[in-house]
Amino acid sequence: MQQMKKKSFKITDTYILLIILVVLVAFFSLVNRQFIAYNNISTMLKNMVLTGVLALGLTPLMIARGLDISFGNSISLTSVIMAVLYTVFGLNLWLTLLIGILVAALIGFINGLLIEKFNLIPIILTLGTMAILQALALVTANTFTQTYSILMLTDQLYYFSTRTFLKIPLPLYVLIVLIFIFWFVLTKTKFGRTIYLIGANPKVAYLCGVKVKKVKILLYIFMGFITGIGGVLSVALTGVGASYQGAKLVLPTLSAVLLGGISLMGGSGSALGTLIGVLIVTVIFNGLSVLNVPSYYIQLFQGIALILIVAAYEIRNKKIQII
Amino acid sequence: MNDQKRNDFLNAINPFNKNSMTPTLLIVYALMILIFSLINPLFISLANIKSIVANLTISGIMAVGLTTVILTGNFDISVGSILGVSAIVCAKLYNIGDTYIPLPVVILAGIAVGAAIGAINGFLVTVVGINSIITTLGTLAVFRGLAYLYGTETAQIYYKPYVFMGRGYVFKHVPLTLIYFIVILVLMYVVLRFTKFGRNVYQVGANLQAARLAGVSIKKTTFYTFIISGITAGIGGILLSSQLSFAQGVFGLGYEFKILAICVLGGISLAGGRGTLVGIIVATFILGSISNGLALSKVPIEWRDAFEGIILIIAIMVDSIRISRRALLRA
Repeated sequence: MQQMKKKSFKITDTYILLIILVVLVAFFSLVNRQFIAYNNISTMLKNMVLTGVLALGLTPLMIARGLDISFGNSISLTSVIMAVLYTVFGLNLWLTLLIGILVAALIGFINGLLIEKFNLIPIILTLGTMAILQALALVTANTFTQTYSILMLTDQLYYFSTRTFLKIPLPLYVLIVLIFIFWFVLTKTKFGRTIYLIGANPKVAYLCGVKVKKVKILLYIFMGFITGIGGVLSVALTGVGASYQGAKLVLPTLSAVLLGGISLMGGSGSALGTLIGVLIVTVIFNGLSVLNVPSYYIQLFQGIALILIVAAYEIRNKKIQII
Repeated sequence: MNDQKRNDFLNAINPFNKNSMTPTLLIVYALMILIFSLINPLFISLANIKSIVANLTISGIMAVGLTTVILTGNFDISVGSILGVSAIVCAKLYNIGDTYIPLPVVILAGIAVGAAIGAINGFLVTVVGINSIITTLGTLAVFRGLAYLYGTETAQIYYKPYVFMGRGYVFKHVPLTLIYFIVILVLMYVVLRFTKFGRNVYQVGANLQAARLAGVSIKKTTFYTFIISGITAGIGGILLSSQLSFAQGVFGLGYEFKILAICVLGGISLAGGRGTLVGIIVATFILGSISNGLALSKVPIEWRDAFEGIILIIAIMVDSIRISRRALLRA
């Protein structure tokens, strides 16, 4: 009985989000016809890939009550490292990309290890690693090339970021595959159930014989791995290893994940919810730029959006509790 | 029983009890001074010491405010943005017309901006009930955006008394800002230690349930701590703009690590309810001297934030070890 009640709540949540999405799309396309032109939609979807991939990586981590806000700076560092390896040292492209992903995974491992072994508050630790990663990115870029953003133009990555298959941009397929994998792992496997159990009640999970710390460290490594993929995507889409770019990704990604129904208390959320969250955030910011809103306002809106999203969920939760 | 409770409480707020980090910090600081002055003797020249002290007091004042928030078990990472907005408001007030607006009005405006943003944070955390980190992450972005929006052009300040406020010295060598720091520190120390509000702050952070059962108004207490943190950040903005005699949208960018690092290093437990302002003094001096020492040791500027990050991480690790040790002792 309890189970059914919960399930019906979840469905309404997803419906509400979908309705919001449809309303937003309708609004922006009524205000400006350009919004629903094929060109704008395909750019929008391409821009969505990076946020989407990162948000997906955060999903299992936040379900299990973990958090990582250093991923933006981690992307800066990995993209700079890849660009330096490729342009300065002339390494093979695929090896470069692999090293970039591994570096990001290592950063995730260090974050997870410190957080779990020392019982640290994730957001505070990653606030610290954020500063360190940013400095590393700047120093690496500056020592090897004397600039802060390094051009990394390759035929393969250019091909990947510009071509389409069935009228859908290639990068989008990465996101689609990842969404399927995350959905499958979170809902259909034992590991997925374990993640929800840890988030809902770590103590119970521990008593059930789940190696809570090990699983969470694994999730941090996984987040790092996804961040690495994000780094590759960022280099592919922009053609530069930029030491300042990544930090801008944190707020929209976090907003998207929270909007998608992930609670900061852990235990709830889904890959599909995150996808809708990402779609809504992307539509809002793309819509704003189609309406020629100055970029200064975008950061302002990002902050307001984050607060409103979490506030709406808090108020709803309170109402449910009272009922 | 009551006496024991009282003793426990006094122990918790006593700076020199056996759990205090202050003596260790002093040793660390002495070593740091030694190393930096060996690398570059200029580090301990009078002019340099004066400039270090004049600079670090701003973050010290902000750390005092943030301490009250952390003591209740919450966080405020929007302090850097509050500083930015307050600095710009003050500088803009000097660029409105031909006549200068009186000094007290400008100071009050800066403080009021800080208090208002603190009140917004406090409202969102206590009344709406959002996690304080997420709230202040949001307000950090919002007010940084506002600061950029109105601070795209550098706003100059030519009004002498205002500039003197941040740059002046008394007795030839004591920066005025140090005096403000000490006054605010002593004031908050007295408030936290000897008033009912101060005890409520510790009570809320140490044990929320117990505080509720004891009739402490958790929401009110938390709300006021956010306002205090906002006010100190506002004062930070006033002092920074007066020291530099201009204001820009980037003022206070990245301050959140620094201030948070000072608090944690000063022994304010992130679990809430533990720590005193005495540790804050030493921690402020350590963090304030580090960037200056690094600059004099010719370390590239990019590394400075990294050092603050490393200090923050080490400090929270030590804090966490102390928390788990206390938990073991209790069990």
